[in-house]
Amino acid sequence: MAALQDILQEFHRIAASPQEQMKHYLAQNKKIVVCSPVYTPEEVIHSMGLLPFGTWGTDMEIKEAKAYFPAFICSVMQSILELGIKGAFDGASAIVIPSLCDSLKCLGQNWKYAVPGIEFVPMTYPQNRNTTYGKEFTKAGYQRVIADLERITGETFEDEKLHKSIEIYNAHNQAMREFSEYAKNYSVITAADRNAVFKSAFFLEKSEHTALINQLLEALKETELADVKKIRIVTSGILADAKELLAILNDNNIQVVADDIAQESRQYRVDCPIAATALDRLAEKFATMNNCSVLYDVNKGRASYLTELVQENKADGIIYALTKFCDPEEFDYVVVKKICEEKEIPLLLIEVDRQMVNYEQVRTAVQTFSEMLG
Amino acid sequence: MGEEAKPKYIPDPNSAKAKLGKIAKEHYDNLWIAKEKGEMIGWCASNFPQEIFQTLGLTVCYPENQAAAIAARGGGGRLCEVAEGEGYSNDICAYARISIAYSQVKDIEEQNMPQPDYLLCCNNICNCMIKWYENLAKELNIPMILIDIPFNPDYKVSKEEIAYVKGQFLDAIRQLEEITGKKWSDEKFEEIMKISNRTSKAWLEATSFCKYNPSPLNGFDLMNHMAVAVCARGTVEAAEAFELLAKEYEESVKNGTSTFRAEEKHRIMFEGIACWPHLRFTATELKSRGINLVATIYADAFGFIYDDFDGLIEAYCNVPNAINLEHARDKRTAIVKNNKVEGLLVHVNRSCKLWSGFMYEMSRQIAEECNVPLSTFDGDQADPRNFSEAQYETRVQALTEIMEANKGVR
Ligand code: SF4
Ligand code: SF4
Repeated sequence: MAALQDILQEFHRIAASPQEQMKHYLAQNKKIVVCSPVYTPEEVIHSMGLLPFGTWGTDMEIKEAKAYFPAFICSVMQSILELGIKGAFDGASAIVIPSLCDSLKCLGQNWKYAVPGIEFVPMTYPQNRNTTYGKEFTKAGYQRVIADLERITGETFEDEKLHKSIEIYNAHNQAMREFSEYAKNYSVITAADRNAVFKSAFFLEKSEHTALINQLLEALKETELADVKKIRIVTSGILADAKELLAILNDNNIQVVADDIAQESRQYRVDCPIAATALDRLAEKFATMNNCSVLYDVNKGRASYLTELVQENKADGIIYALTKFCDPEEFDYVVVKKICEEKEIPLLLIEVDRQMVNYEQVRTAVQTFSEMLG
Repeated sequence: MGEEAKPKYIPDPNSAKAKLGKIAKEHYDNLWIAKEKGEMIGWCASNFPQEIFQTLGLTVCYPENQAAAIAARGGGGRLCEVAEGEGYSNDICAYARISIAYSQVKDIEEQNMPQPDYLLCCNNICNCMIKWYENLAKELNIPMILIDIPFNPDYKVSKEEIAYVKGQFLDAIRQLEEITGKKWSDEKFEEIMKISNRTSKAWLEATSFCKYNPSPLNGFDLMNHMAVAVCARGTVEAAEAFELLAKEYEESVKNGTSTFRAEEKHRIMFEGIACWPHLRFTATELKSRGINLVATIYADAFGFIYDDFDGLIEAYCNVPNAINLEHARDKRTAIVKNNKVEGLLVHVNRSCKLWSGFMYEMSRQIAEECNVPLSTFDGDQADPRNFSEAQYETRVQALTEIMEANKGVR
């Protein structure tokens, strides 16, 4: 048991100290490329010998970024820019920002002037992605990233090396899925633990993270399943990493049994298949990715996917953590709400915001929801 | 005491204004006629390549135009609330909220429009559009075609982007043939491209008269005429009406007349969509200070000039909301300089994340490059609740004072 807690502590330590992690890699002469949400071709960056370092912003007060973003842009974008301006990424060689939503498009444009010391590398994805021309365009987007990174860092790209990185990333995906599957039944894994495992993945080289996950899985396998009745919840949204929120879930006897969170499982659902070149493998992966508010889907498969997650994991309900001002998620919510009503799945909407200080409303809502389910 | 009834203002039926008004009205009338004949109706994004459905002879209408009309006639708040009742956040673009609400309410007094049988979406103005149309498609259970034109981080459109959009174009044609049973004709396509170019040229020509000092037009006119540039670009009537408009402006310049009915003391660029629910207030505040609007990016937004198929695609990739900060800035800087603009009034539009999301930085750069003062105000193009008259007045007054002081110096 001690071992399990030690390993979990390690995940918490890493998740809570991205800047320490950056320093640690910079001290090893690693060149760092910051990766913005929602999807960046980390494999490409990794294969060039660079360290992909993810950021989803942080819970903080926004000051400097206000000169660039009006108040109605989500706090994920605001806080990433704020961190950039305040020097949190100093030492990084570049930042890759995809343009999958309107606010992300603006982050890239503002970045150039707000943080001139760290070069902005755009990643442009197609929305009609699962077509021949769509995949070609995805590849063109990757090639653009490669060319920029070669120029900025002096490192070079080789398809053969990308194959190797893809294997590392596929193995990591697999480990993350396995963890999620395992963790759902262990009441010792709190919502905060689960989040720390996912969050830390952005601050560690992926094979290192996989190794740590495997240790965790080993420790879990040796842990006895406790016979406690928990309220089984599926979470959905862009992120649900606020300390206060995770504590509220814990206080209300909630076990997160699966998630549809962009910062968590959405990253790991799809592996790179076999294809002609390594770059094709990556484009194929993007082509088949789905069930996400920033990826076009006329069938809104995300809503039915969520109900399937509930059924497969015998969940009691869904908590939809809506990041304030995130329009892709705001639109999807209505469709999710409808399908939940039809299928009689309890659904709780809570609004989260990186600048939020008062969680009393959330606490009351979660409490009422869990009492209803409990 | 009985008030004297004001005679209703009827414009000369041969004037461009009357002709444009007629085209806008007939656009809606024709939709109902088509619907009654059993034709399929499409709902279409304002910057969807209209050459496609014009060639196929399809009947489409524009939710953005409708939402603007509804908002201008006072129904914006009511419909936004209907959408909010369904679970839509009040942070979502008000055009989307109004349109989604309308697809459920179906009958309102401000502006009706037939319900759609299919949807034509193009995200060169925003990705919000994709979500809005996805939800409509799901709710109404009808097909949706998306031409994805991504935001271009570079100054120039790449050949890869052209190839990607072209692939979608051809797919869209095939899908639309299947949905509607209509057939594509290359000759018709050539003809439509010609007419569209003619209309666009005439539109650009007419808007270019803002450069005269004083300007022969009140810039707010353009925001109204734009509806025709959106809904009838591929028609000869629209081309003729805009050509006539340009002629009238030319005459006005000669005669020293203007549709701006005040002395033109200051010339500004108005950035962003109009605040439709508060149009009269926002316009009057300017007019009473002798401020005329002589520049807007709208002029450019619907001027699609091209020589061939690739050029057409490139034009749709270069619409104002699809281009990077530097490109967007330079387009505006050119207009500001060319039209002798003396101040920038920037609408920070709560509805439009993309248009407002890098507007602060871009406006600063334009103001600096052109050496003109800049004032921003918070508003919304269709939700009346997100606007404060007091703030607008203060900001306009501040801008006026700097422009006046600058005149004293210059
Ligand atoms: S939280 Fe939503 S709005 Fe913000 S960057 Fe992510 S997807 Fe875009
Ligand atoms: S106002 Fe902005 S967000 Fe709304 S439809 Fe137009 S471009 Fe899109």
